[in-house]
Amino acid sequence: MTDAYIVGAGQSSFGSFPEETYRTLFREAYEAAAPADLDPGDVDEAFVGTLGVGGRQIGLAGPVVTEHVGLHGVPCTRVENACAASGYALRQAVMAVESGMADLVLAGGVEVMTDTSAEATKYWLGVSGETEWERMAGTTFSGVYAQMADAYLREYDAPRRAMSEVAAKNHANGAKNPKAHLGFECSVDDAEAASVVADPLTLYHCCPTTDGAAAVFVASEEVAASFDDRVRVAGVGAASDRVGLFQRDTYTAVEASERAGETAYDAAGVADPRTDLDFAEVHDCFAIAELLAYEDLGFCDRGEAAALVGDGVTAIDGDLPVNTSGGLKSKGHPIGATGAGQAVEAFDQLTGNAGDRQLDDPERGLTHNVGGSGGAAVVHVFEAEGVSGA
Amino acid sequence: MSAPEPGPGGAPEERPDADARILGAGLYAPRARLPSAAVADAWGRSAARGVESVAVPAPDEDALTMAVAAAERALEAAGVDAASLSGLAFATTTPPMAEEDLTPRLGDALGVPADATTRYAGRSTRAGTRALRAARDAGAFPAVVVAADAPGGAPNSPEGHAAGAGAAAVVLGADRGSGAGLHGDSEVATDYPGTRFRRPASDEVEGLGVTTYDRAAFTRPVAAAVDGLASDPDVPDPGDAAAVAISAPDGDLPGRAARAAGLDPGRVTTPVSTLGDTGAAGPLLGVARALQEGATRTLVVGWGSGAGADALLVDGLAPVEGSLDAGDDVGYTDALRLRGDLTADEAPAGGGAAVSVATWRRSIAARYRLRAGRCPACGALAFPPEGACPDCHALVDFDSVALPREGRVETVTGVSPGGAPPEFARQAERGGDYPVAIVAFERDGGRVSLPMQVCDATPGSVAAADTVRAVFRRVYEQEGVVRYGRKARPVAVDER
Repeated sequence: MTDAYIVGAGQSSFGSFPEETYRTLFREAYEAAAPADLDPGDVDEAFVGTLGVGGRQIGLAGPVVTEHVGLHGVPCTRVENACAASGYALRQAVMAVESGMADLVLAGGVEVMTDTSAEATKYWLGVSGETEWERMAGTTFSGVYAQMADAYLREYDAPRRAMSEVAAKNHANGAKNPKAHLGFECSVDDAEAASVVADPLTLYHCCPTTDGAAAVFVASEEVAASFDDRVRVAGVGAASDRVGLFQRDTYTAVEASERAGETAYDAAGVADPRTDLDFAEVHDCFAIAELLAYEDLGFCDRGEAAALVGDGVTAIDGDLPVNTSGGLKSKGHPIGATGAGQAVEAFDQLTGNAGDRQLDDPERGLTHNVGGSGGAAVVHVFEAEGVSGA
Repeated sequence: MSAPEPGPGGAPEERPDADARILGAGLYAPRARLPSAAVADAWGRSAARGVESVAVPAPDEDALTMAVAAAERALEAAGVDAASLSGLAFATTTPPMAEEDLTPRLGDALGVPADATTRYAGRSTRAGTRALRAARDAGAFPAVVVAADAPGGAPNSPEGHAAGAGAAAVVLGADRGSGAGLHGDSEVATDYPGTRFRRPASDEVEGLGVTTYDRAAFTRPVAAAVDGLASDPDVPDPGDAAAVAISAPDGDLPGRAARAAGLDPGRVTTPVSTLGDTGAAGPLLGVARALQEGATRTLVVGWGSGAGADALLVDGLAPVEGSLDAGDDVGYTDALRLRGDLTADEAPAGGGAAVSVATWRRSIAARYRLRAGRCPACGALAFPPEGACPDCHALVDFDSVALPREGRVETVTGVSPGGAPPEFARQAERGGDYPVAIVAFERDGGRVSLPMQVCDATPGSVAAADTVRAVFRRVYEQEGVVRYGRKARPVAVDER
């Protein structure tokens, strides 16, 4: 079995683009990801994550975008796991390479979310949760995450302000990312004072709806050797859980994240994520999700996430920077593109191409992508060239 | 009303035979009350005579949901399990579906056996007493009889000013034994066209406003029906009645009719002054309230446009659950908003979550009656009762168990009209922000949780650890079909 390497990663700008289509956005990501010496004819396989392209839910959503970028004849599979669609597409690509079935695989994702009415968007996003009971109680995603936040704040007597600190941190990082949707800073007080979307979540605790695409090329060790930039996929973990929050054992942890993290850590040889990782891109569709991720992924013990962000540990100059890209909160959350977009940030950081938000020689980073409110999760650990094991 | 007069006392076996007996009764009214003063502020005057306030249904309430609430209370009062019912009768002039037999839904919501004898009455406000008589005549006991109504009228019309809402139910048992005896049966019908009518496909009751004609159309059939009852030698004298439970389109006509029948108008117990026009539910509401107030002999009179009237006598006492006294006053525009007069009828763009009617039906036992599953392998509870066991993961066929109606809030948030899914957008527009909770229900040491919308509450008023009761409400409407299920109602509201 060969190791898998990312040899190219790129994304479109994330934002609202009335002049773009899902095809043109995907092309932008594809061109940004493609290594200079890539021969499209060498691509063996493609996996494309998308929830449904603005609710239009077309069939063959994968081949539509791969034929648009010239990958004629390549086997292409659409992957749909709600917000974890392209995180799972990347995992499929890694599996294809590691199994020996393919030497060069495209994994990506795309979503167009801003060209439908607010009501149509709400309808569409709601179908990613548990429809028959949770949705029929009148909830949307924000409502379900708000229920998690309500339970968390109460269980650990944590301040709501911790979620505002997450928002302010991610906005600060996103302001340094030219591809970010919301490239402005916000203060903790701004986030605290914003209107309530679903109590206790305010507007600044919620990610935007975003258009965008992201793409990653995954290669076998042998093929990767011919490319200039290489980042090793050191570990992959994935898990699923009950889709409805009400059916889970806990509302204050995402057990799928925990299991996915443990699997990825085992594969990557990560004994203590707090010291063995140099950065992480975690799923922060709502600020509470980032706090839960700290605990689910072992960055801190249960109930200590508020202190972690409050003490600056996860700030860009902290011991374990989280969401240097701005995260879903600031960079944006084009559902199908999000997981691949996280890998783009990891690739940029580990290859020294992260611009104004570049960390100081990071060696190992993590991406964490959640579908729905935790019905699916996928974690990748990446290593820079030359790190032990590579 | 005057003080109750003595009724038949002694042990049940000593009581005289009746046609049937009321074993218990239940009352229900929506929480919101629109004071007539607010109507007068809006229109210069209130045209609803003798009405101090009217009950306004919540956006997720209709005749069927109110019927379930009243029937559950009646069954509780009577100490009768719905599964033991042999008869079911339902009356309303305002069915949520213009054409559909509502008794199957009512029966399913209550847990009435599918082979129970059912009766359905509608079209005129005499439907309540018609249903009562029909259930009695069917002789399938125990039976539950429910009348629920929420009539409407043009905003500035006497009917619109009086439009109220409410429901009442009685559980009927066999002719001997405990409870309040149901005696006699008198009916008259005289053609009085145009006194109270509703055009096809209209939600608004109209009248021509011909004052003396309208009064005659009401009082003459009522007086004749009471006379007929009085002439029955097997019926206790209705002239001795301590209470008069009578149809009440407003607060004036019942008193006039009582006087025409030789009775004290002060004995009218129909709660028209506080709930407004409750249509077909009026007489049963009057009976239940009379029983609650200890009246041992109640004259029951149903009047229906057309016009006809029927009369019966209730003799004795029976327990009653439910209160009509507490309500929260709302302003006139709030009432218009609650009733949907200010919002569009159609669902907003974007459609609703695609849960097919067939899929919905498969989960009716869980949605209507909170039927959960118990794993035959490990004993764990599962909700909904389908799929693999949540604990031992065995792919089992669950044993069906009923969850209790009371549960505890585990976590909660609020949803605003702007944040509601499209299928709930109209409800949220009418009713405002609503809480959504996850509620835990315990049974025999096991526990399951359900996501539940919390009704009759604002988001800030509900918190973790609060006790709520699962009540039957409208969930949403898609493809013209109303979907019903259980929502959570804070017990502090439910018990008021």
